[in-house]
Parts: sequence; C-alpha cells; structure tokens
Amino acid sequence: MFGFLGPNGAGKTTTVKLLTGLLRPDEGSCSVFGFSPAQKPCEVHRLCGVMTEGAKMYGQMTGTENLIFFGQAFGMKDEDCRDRARGLLKKLDLWDARDRKLRAYSTGMAQRLSLARALMNRPRALFLDEPTSGLDPESAREVNTMIADLARAEDVTVFLCTHQLRYAQDVCSRYGILEKGSLLAYGTLEAISRDAGLHMRASLRLREGDSPAGFERGGDGWWYADVLSEDEMPKLIREAVTGGHEIYEARLIRPTLEDVYFKYVSLNGGKQP
Amino acid sequence: MKMPSQAERAVIKKDFREIWDSRMARGTVLAVPLVLVVALPIVFLVMINTVPPSGMNGVDQMMRLLPAQARGLTPRQGMMYLMTDLLFPAFFLMIPLMASSVAAASSFVGEKERGTLPTLLLTPMSVKRIFHAKTLGCVLLSAIVTAISFVVFAVIVSVGDILLGLPFFLNWSWLALILFLTPAVTVFGVVFMVMVSARSKSYVESVQTSGYLVLPIVLVLIGQLAGLFRLSAWFLLVAAAAVWAADALLWALSGRSFTPEKLLR
Repeated sequence: MFGFLGPNGAGKTTTVKLLTGLLRPDEGSCSVFGFSPAQKPCEVHRLCGVMTEGAKMYGQMTGTENLIFFGQAFGMKDEDCRDRARGLLKKLDLWDARDRKLRAYSTGMAQRLSLARALMNRPRALFLDEPTSGLDPESAREVNTMIADLARAEDVTVFLCTHQLRYAQDVCSRYGILEKGSLLAYGTLEAISRDAGLHMRASLRLREGDSPAGFERGGDGWWYADVLSEDEMPKLIREAVTGGHEIYEARLIRPTLEDVYFKYVSLNGGKQP
Repeated sequence: MKMPSQAERAVIKKDFREIWDSRMARGTVLAVPLVLVVALPIVFLVMINTVPPSGMNGVDQMMRLLPAQARGLTPRQGMMYLMTDLLFPAFFLMIPLMASSVAAASSFVGEKERGTLPTLLLTPMSVKRIFHAKTLGCVLLSAIVTAISFVVFAVIVSVGDILLGLPFFLNWSWLALILFLTPAVTVFGVVFMVMVSARSKSYVESVQTSGYLVLPIVLVLIGQLAGLFRLSAWFLLVAAAAVWAADALLWALSGRSFTPEKLLR
C-alpha cells in the first residue's frame, strides 16, 4: 500500500485524476501499468479500481443492482457480476442491506459500497482518495480495516490518499508527501525520515542525578541520543552499564510518519492536514 | 453505428430505469402524449360530433382554411379535416421533441447533477461509447413513446373519420412528418439537450431550456391557423432535411464537448 499524503489543496485528488485519465496533463506524462491514462484511459480503467469522493453511485438502485451495473459496465459476464457482487457484499458487511436502495444507506455503508464497486473488476491497483472522509471515527476504522484486509486478500496495490497519518503508518509500506503540487518525499518511512533529517533516538531512564555521556536530558527526565540504526542500541546500553549507570528503562524511538510529515510540511511553510 | 455492447446495453437500461424512477421525467414522458394525442383529439372529436356547428364561433373562418380538395365537406367534416391536417401534426411533433429532451435531460444533466458521471467515466467504456449509448437510449425511448402515441392517435382519429364519413387521415404530409421529420426532431431534442447539459447545472433548469424548442412549432401552428401559410409534404421534407443537417452539426459539436474534463468541470 502506498500512502499519498499532503495538506488540503496539495494536489492529491488532481494526481489521482491524472493517473486515472479524468484529467489530461498540461505538460509531462504519467503511466499506469505501462499505459498512458490520457491516451489509453480504458486500458487503465480495466486494470484499476478508483474510489473518490466525487464518484457516486445510483441512489435509486439497490446495493446489489449498483454492483451488477458497474460489473456489466466493466464488461463482466452476468453470472460473474452476480458472484462477485455477492462475495464483496458479504466481505464488506453489506449483505443484509443488499436489497436496500443506496439512498437509504448510511454514509459509512455508501463508502463501503463504493469500495466494493472499485473492487468489482478485480483490479490490480486501487486508487482510494480519502476513503473515510465524512465518516465517524468508528466507521472510518471499520472501512480502514476492510481496505487493509481486502488489499491483502485480493493482492492489489493500493494508492491511498489520506489525512490519517497513524492509519497510513500502520498499513502502508511506502509514502509520498505532496505539497503545492510538488512531491517533497517518496519512499519507505525509514528513507523519508532520513531524508528529512529525523533519526531514531535511544532513550534511557536512569537514577535521578545520573548523567550519561553523549546523551541529552529531555523535559520528561529521560536521556536521549540520536542513533543511525537500531544496531547501535546494544552498544549504547552496554557502555552505559559498564560506565556505572543504573538503567531503569531503555527505549528505541523511531520517527513516526506524523513527525516526518510535519517536518516536511513545516520546511515548506505548508499548513497542517 | 455499431451494435451496442453489453456494457452499453447496461447503460441504456439503467438510463431507462432512471427516467422511469424520476416522477418528474416519467410524468412528462407520459403526460405530454396523453394530453396531446389522446385527451385533446377525444375532446375535439366529442365536440365536433355533439355541438351543432351553428353553436360554435368562427366555423365560417375555419372553413375558409380548407384546401381546394376539401371544399365540399360539411362543417363537421371540415372541422375534423382541419384538426387532423393543421392542429394535430403540430401537437404530434411535440411528443418526440419533449420525450427526447426530457430523456436526454435525465440521462446527461441528471447524471452530472447526481455525481454519478465520474463513476461511469471510470469504467473501461470510452467516453465516446458512453456518449453513443446515452444518445441511443434517449432516441430509442423517444421513438417508443412516439410510436405508441402515433398508433393510439391513429386509432382515435380513424374512429372520428369513420363517424364523420371522412377518408383515412394518413396523407403525404403525415407520411413526411412521421417518416422524416419526427426522427429528425427526436435526434434534435437529444443533441440539443447534450449541448445544454454542458452549461446546465440541474435537470429542472435544462428541461426549462428545452421549452424554447417548442416555440418554432407553436409559431408554425399559429401561422397555419391564421391562414398565413400551409405546410405541404414537400415543405415538411425540406424541413426534415434542415433538421437532420442541424442534428449532424450539433452531434459533431456535442460529441466534441463530451470529454471528461468538460463534463466534470
């Protein structure tokens, strides 16, 4: 899963539109599975599922009818549409509401149905633009869990635009940070942390009054030192112990996605998500 | 035009259903034919058969509108002739126009208004195929409504003709109207609405705009009833050719403006 992060107005939705052929680039190019979305949008759509806030489904049709319609629009055979719709409705906990009209669905249910719609054609890549916007925390967590589970089960690459940094850190393996249309960072959390100048830190809690060399005291009474990798940790502890310090607790603190994100955004004078 | 694929058929079916599910669209598609070619002909027929011509105003002026070949008719027959020849063709023409523009308003503007167009554009159907499927659906719906209306109308008018001892109403003018002008007008209603849909924000607004399309028909009707002119079969054929030409032009223009960027603006 790829987490695409950035404040409002950074260009995340525009990027998704460019990658899915809904917008043509004024200059430059992009390609998805070797196809240019501007030149071959149909091929891109055949291989991808897209869930955006602006892409709604038919309110007067039931959940099942909506999925079958979009399956047919994808050129799937009727029986395959029905089977796939049945499976997805069950997986996304919409089975009991399958014959209810979409306009009677709650926002969370409608989002889950949109997710099902985006997965109907068994896509190789799934573009999700703020899939939990407008949802209460409980529903957002539910949808997030389902996305992660389905992405694993369906073996699909997910391009996830989100403001939920903690969730993104849990589920994504790579990240992109966008600000005012520029990609500020791209890579694994480790790589973008390093590029942002954020390091892992070793922290120790010692006896009151004790002060180890090479460490700085934090406001919380702990002692901190930057480390380049976790391999340095045993050596630091060993040295502290042999130096006669009594260690009550030791922790290795990795920069969180939130730390990295805010570092990049503040470096570029941007606003918070 | 290629045969519609399964995906295109699904879009057409879905559009039909959306029109049927919308009370306003369904009401217009059903009410216009019911009033214009069922209720009004029946009312006129009953009046002609029950009210004595001496009790009606302006019968003499109306009789003067009769063409040379219909001069020997009785006042009742003459009135029926005029209704069938001057009034009902104009009424009838409003059916394909209204049905196609209401169908297109629901299919194009309604889809945009409800936010479902981007979802449709994200399927592997090309924009061109979506445009064709939607246009074909609207034309098909209008053609079905118009065909049923004509059959019902033909039955009612034929009953009137039999009651009044008149020959079968279908003449060259009616044939030109049904076979050439009506299909042209049907397509015009759709392509005009596609053009409107690029600017229109709501279904209601676009249907209101389509009201302008009825104006030329009303003017022709007034002109004929005032005795200013009379439309021959030849004139109707020329008019059909002109409308077909306008269709082709609008089709090309509207097809060009049917791009994701313009539609999602």
